[in-house]
Amino acid sequence: MTQNSAAPSVSAPKSGENTWLWLIKIVTGPLLLILVIVHLIVNHFIGETGLLTYADIVAYYRNPLIPAMEITFLAAVVTHSLIGLRGIVLDLKPARNILKIIDWAMVIFGVSTVIYGTWLALTIASKGG
Amino acid sequence: MDPKHNQPSPINFWKWFNPIGRQAGGWAFILNRITALGLTFYLFLHLLVLGQLAIGPEGYNGFVALMRNPIAIAGEMLVVAAGIIHGLNGVRIVLTTFGVGVTRQKQLFYSLMTAAVIAIIVFGVRMFTA
Repeated sequence: MTQNSAAPSVSAPKSGENTWLWLIKIVTGPLLLILVIVHLIVNHFIGETGLLTYADIVAYYRNPLIPAMEITFLAAVVTHSLIGLRGIVLDLKPARNILKIIDWAMVIFGVSTVIYGTWLALTIASKGG
Repeated sequence: MDPKHNQPSPINFWKWFNPIGRQAGGWAFILNRITALGLTFYLFLHLLVLGQLAIGPEGYNGFVALMRNPIAIAGEMLVVAAGIIHGLNGVRIVLTTFGVGVTRQKQLFYSLMTAAVIAIIVFGVRMFTA
């Protein structure tokens, strides 16, 4: 495939994408890579089968660093995925007013998800007593 | 070869994923976009399902028991593979964004994807045998 100006060989903000949003996506990437590695190793390689049961998870959340890490993970992954999804939407060249609606829907959806996930993480942490 | 593969428009949606006539960069793009869409879908499904944890052990353990079959594990395997591919492909994107390895993207891509294949095999063995 020949490279052209529409397909730069290095990541850059898309047309219509705020530079800050693009930068947040780039910066959350490495953070997520580390957290995903921890997440996958913990969930699949700890003990006999990894963290599989309710009791395993509640025990894991007894260490206060864990809910803190999971909430960070949650906020970063939701932000990264929605900015990425918006980038894909931008590639479909939406009309300005439709993009505005999509933007608000994504903000509301993202914030609600983080609130829900934070509540869930704290609920699980509280079960450990 | 069609240089307009990656150019946006709703009609071209499927062309994003057309593998014909592509070189490494095109493959990297397809992999990144497919895994992005799959992981985003899984993420929100995952968070929804984890809500069972707030209810108590019965619901959650029951759900896990339901998922302990080869078909569900194969599905989880796809998610793990997508996460590994997207994450390692992202390493190339971040490095080149900050000017590292810009002229060696192909080597970087092939090395990272080799590492991804190895990691996927390690997880695959573990998930199907644990």
